[in-house]
Amino acid sequence: MHAFLPLLLAQAVSPDDLVREAQRLQRNYEFLSYGLIVAWLVLVVYVLMMVARERRLKREIASLKVMLEERPKK
Amino acid sequence: MRDKILYLLGAAAVLIVARNIYVISGLPGEEAQGAIFKIIFFHVPLAITALTCGTVACAASILYLVKKEMKYDAVAVSVTEVGLAFLAGNLITGSIWARIIWGVWWAWDVRLTSALVCWILYASYLMIRHAVEEPTQRAKLAAVVSIFAFIDVPIVILSIRLFRTQHPGPVFFSSSGSFPHDWSMIMMWNLFAMMMLGAVMTMIRLRQEEVQREIDSLRRLAHAF
Repeated sequence: MHAFLPLLLAQAVSPDDLVREAQRLQRNYEFLSYGLIVAWLVLVVYVLMMVARERRLKREIASLKVMLEERPKK
Repeated sequence: MRDKILYLLGAAAVLIVARNIYVISGLPGEEAQGAIFKIIFFHVPLAITALTCGTVACAASILYLVKKEMKYDAVAVSVTEVGLAFLAGNLITGSIWARIIWGVWWAWDVRLTSALVCWILYASYLMIRHAVEEPTQRAKLAAVVSIFAFIDVPIVILSIRLFRTQHPGPVFFSSSGSFPHDWSMIMMWNLFAMMMLGAVMTMIRLRQEEVQREIDSLRRLAHAF
């Protein structure tokens, strides 16, 4: 609070206004961090989905190749 | 080798963004909006990358319809999927900004609505692809849908210039913009990193599409026996 003291004295701002301003700034930072987290989370989830798909495709192609190799032997 | 280059490029893009987050955290807040303003450094590059993906998808779809080569269909689906993820990030960051500045999560403003419609159209494109089994028919139908969906891209871009919207006007690539030079540089670096990330993701997705096609042909071969 004492950081705002010169402002308080110079502009006759009430302590309530300062508390409100501090809360607004706090909320601003909170929402900014939510924004950044969510933006990256969306991309990370998509990358994880791609990794899962890659694994599934590798499994699928390996099993198909094995199946095709075994067929003529029967 | 190709994989290693892709992963290196992806890591470089992530490093650039991480460095930018550090630089942006040290910037002062905007006079009227405060710290939440800094979300623009991610919101705008996400949008530009997503709309670029839409444009590439449209070009690939036209090429598919003209040349009838499946590789263009693979490019279109890969780039659309990546673009959809970026557009989702753009819509969410915009919504979080709006909650602080406008007091609401969403407004049915022309820019916001057209961007949401764009997301829905590209999501429908992916859903339609799942619904059609036959590859050639699927590619043809998807190409038409992709070209149709692209109509919305210029509407999203021009909406803030052509209509009176609640969304802030352009601050980049515009004579009316008042963005300081050093902030613009950070924005350009972020845009470069996002584009690079988008390109890497598209290349990886494209390779998966090629593997999927190989699997489909192996399946047909297995059924032929």
